[in-house]
Amino acid sequence: MNWLRRLLEARRLERELDKEVRFHVESRVDDLIREGVDSSEARRRALAEFGCYEPIKEAARDARGTRWLGDLWQDLRYTRRILWSAKGFTLAAVLSLGVGLGANAAVFRVMDGLMFRPLDVPAPSELFFVYRNPTNASRFSHPTYLRLASAVPEAQFAVSTPPVTMQATIHGAAQLVTTQLVSGNWFDVIGVRAGSGRVLAASDDQGKGEPLAAVMSDWLWERQFGRDASVVGSTLMINGLAFTVAGIAEPGFQGLIVGTPSDLWIPVHSQHEVRHRSSASTDDADSSAPWVPQEGVAWLVLLGRAPAAFDRTRLLATLEAKHQQILQARVEKMEDADRKARILRERLSLIDGEHGLSTLRERLAPALRVLMGMSLLVLIVAAANLANYLLARGAVRRRELALRLAIGARRGRLIRQFLTESLVLAGLGGALGIALALWGGRLLLVIVSTTSNPVPVNLPIDWRILGFGAALTLLTGLGFGLIPALRLSRPDVGDALKTGGRVIDSVGTGRFRFPLVRVLVGVQVALSLLLVVAAALFQQTFRNLVHLDAGFDRETVLDVRFDTRLAGFEPAQLPALHERLIAEASRVPGIRSATLGVVGPATGAERIGTVTVDKYVPGPDEEPRIWEDAIGPAYLSTMGMRLIEGREFDNRDHVKSQQVAIINASMAKRYFGEGSPIGRHFGYGEPNQFEVVGVVADTRANGLRLEVPPLAYFPLTQRPNEYARNLYVRVDVHPDAIRKPLEDAVRRAAPSLAIREVVTLAELTERTVATERMVSRLAVVFGIIGVIVAVLGLYGTIAYSVARRTNEIGVRLALGASPGQVRGMVLRETLMLVGVGVLAGVALVLPAGKAAGALLYGLTARDPRTLIIASVLVLAIGLVVGAFPAWRASRVDPTRALRTD
Amino acid sequence: MAVRSRSDLLQGTLDLLILKTLSTEPLHGYAIAQRISQFSRALLQVPQGSLYPALHRLENRGWVDAQWDRTDTGREAKFYKLTRVGRQQLEREVADWQRLTEGIALVMAGASGGTRS
Repeated sequence: MNWLRRLLEARRLERELDKEVRFHVESRVDDLIREGVDSSEARRRALAEFGCYEPIKEAARDARGTRWLGDLWQDLRYTRRILWSAKGFTLAAVLSLGVGLGANAAVFRVMDGLMFRPLDVPAPSELFFVYRNPTNASRFSHPTYLRLASAVPEAQFAVSTPPVTMQATIHGAAQLVTTQLVSGNWFDVIGVRAGSGRVLAASDDQGKGEPLAAVMSDWLWERQFGRDASVVGSTLMINGLAFTVAGIAEPGFQGLIVGTPSDLWIPVHSQHEVRHRSSASTDDADSSAPWVPQEGVAWLVLLGRAPAAFDRTRLLATLEAKHQQILQARVEKMEDADRKARILRERLSLIDGEHGLSTLRERLAPALRVLMGMSLLVLIVAAANLANYLLARGAVRRRELALRLAIGARRGRLIRQFLTESLVLAGLGGALGIALALWGGRLLLVIVSTTSNPVPVNLPIDWRILGFGAALTLLTGLGFGLIPALRLSRPDVGDALKTGGRVIDSVGTGRFRFPLVRVLVGVQVALSLLLVVAAALFQQTFRNLVHLDAGFDRETVLDVRFDTRLAGFEPAQLPALHERLIAEASRVPGIRSATLGVVGPATGAERIGTVTVDKYVPGPDEEPRIWEDAIGPAYLSTMGMRLIEGREFDNRDHVKSQQVAIINASMAKRYFGEGSPIGRHFGYGEPNQFEVVGVVADTRANGLRLEVPPLAYFPLTQRPNEYARNLYVRVDVHPDAIRKPLEDAVRRAAPSLAIREVVTLAELTERTVATERMVSRLAVVFGIIGVIVAVLGLYGTIAYSVARRTNEIGVRLALGASPGQVRGMVLRETLMLVGVGVLAGVALVLPAGKAAGALLYGLTARDPRTLIIASVLVLAIGLVVGAFPAWRASRVDPTRALRTD
Repeated sequence: MAVRSRSDLLQGTLDLLILKTLSTEPLHGYAIAQRISQFSRALLQVPQGSLYPALHRLENRGWVDAQWDRTDTGREAKFYKLTRVGRQQLEREVADWQRLTEGIALVMAGASGGTRS
């Protein structure tokens, strides 16, 4: 009879055993009677011979081997009764556990989606990226890619540009899409197939003439076209160039950059026609000529796939050798020895491609780690509640436990029952936590999103999350349930039966015995303090950042962002277009002034150039770099920037006059030293053609947190080929009132222009500290949760302690203590408990502060003001929490109390 | 109190006795106990507390099969029958037992004699 049947038919088997035994006894009786024994005597003898029936049943049950299951069922039913009888406590424990577990799982989900999850492609560990050191650009030119690829035939190589914005015409309207230019074999190397139609192939690697193919992402297809099958094969205009949609990529594929999804992929060779000119570094090259054949334009990210067996060091060595060859050929005709040496010092390195690339990851990783730490703290606090709850319940049931031990229950059995209780509680909390995580993970991402599109990092619910949640739940339940279980099942039976359960649980021996419950509460208070301090520090950091002087007016200046180049304008049309834009914008009521900019502050875009400066001698390895921007008329006054020296651009500065520039204070300090830079020159190599005509105060051009870069502004009038990307307006009215009229004005000036967004400079700059905002918000949330849970625990402990000492309090009152003295006694006890916890928490702040130090701004973890305020806050909360039980204690009726046990 | 005083040796021996008893014909529990007592000329009395757990254990292991049937007197009883696997097990256990007794006998003899070569 197999195991399962035995399990299900337990009752039937018991009945059968009954029958069998009865038959046995009856047969014996019959035999005895036959031998001549009296019938009642026979019965007595037979039963006596047979012995005690129960142990036989037990032994038979044991033999069946399904005993543990029956016991488990018993435990569960008992647990249900216990939990139901103390609903309030149960609810508090489950809720606090659920929140603790949920917070952890939510943060883990996001971390997993961003950092741990490998790409959803075949054999992702075979992928790698090739990087150049020490250059930061990490891009290669097309000819270099071909040569490197041919050097290692055992591996496959492909190239792509990073995701860039392009303008596509969808349903007749111009829209901005994220596009990558890729080599024909890129999809093949990654291992991505088409969902419908086809993906790019090597045959797409040719010049113009053929109808150019484009691959659309499944996401764009669904979002914009509703999965209309006729899209495949149709024509799509991208940056004014006609492409045929060859196919849709398989669902879920969004490129290799985690956090920046791509909508479209087009062939690398369409670069020139499609007017892709960004994200490249040029060296001795013409950026207006087609890039593909040029060696001097480094614009492609190099991806490779090699079987795992292929030794990576050998691969790198081969690539390195080939690369050196290429570099040698390049510097052969160079005269500048320094530059030659610098170029030859370049090295390659291989970056693991399994998790794709991600700027989002780099940005968020430290913050996520800190958040993970905080959520773990919350979990510990919640779990300590669980332990306290079990200890408290156990102490109440001490007599019952002692009794059970006395009649022979094994200690293991009792422990098992306690563990069942704690696991059930943890399980309930875990289920709640998973539910919270599903909802919370999405919420976290929403908070994290900085662009107008939500960040579609895939956060699938799969075995990792469930596994993580289950593991945490199990650990919590077992870990924090074991302590009470072990303590309470100690067989000091006689003691418990006698004193009626007033033995104190404690750790330590002799003079240093600390009640375990108090230790746990102390730990809870300490951790809550830590959480409160963290919340306060991160809040302050965010406030420090937001209130930084950005150098320009944030609330009264709006930025209309677009890309005129993508719309298909020719350079000759630009001056007129720019004028029209300013004119139309100025006509909108409420606008004080309007101007144009190319790069703009806090947009995330940068333009960096290497320059030579009059009378500035660069260091041995230094390449003097500046950030650049081109600006329209009245830029400084529109933006509210402060001119320190010299003048703004005006009518004097046009194409035929002296090339001028306005520099910021940082650049002045760095490259021009002490004296006034007005009248001095800099440029892209001798002769230095730009004359400095003005110095402007520093602005936080790269965002609030980053250092101010040395920056030079050039007048748009002297740069006729510059495509403006930002229209800045200074407004008199509330920004919200003017967004729509502004958009309309821009559309009037240029109907074919796709507008990316209209934002205030305040919104733009705050995006640059979005991580800090997220961290501060979540830190506050975790802080509040932690404090609430700790307060629940503290209240429970004090209230319970008072309840247990009812007898003692009654005695005191009867002997003449005043209610005030009783209250004081309880409050003092509370104060001591919370006080010790606070001290411990403060001690913990130092090491914790070191871990999170990088995230803070403008203050360190040891900030005394924050520590004091947090400590006082926690102490105050503790006192408030203890006040109610204290009041209850003072109202104890002495006569009743004395009768209580 | 739970009784856990059986030694392994006794438990194994009981299994052997039961299997052997059943090797001739299917019997019910009471009959097995009687038969063992009979054959051993009352030297062995099966403790009742051990009999049924042993029978159930053997049933779990698949060495015996159980079936409810009527006895000659018309009462219902659970009859145990040796299975094919049980018969193999019996052979094995008999061989083990003989080896055991031989070995013990040798040791007993060897203690008072010389070594055999």
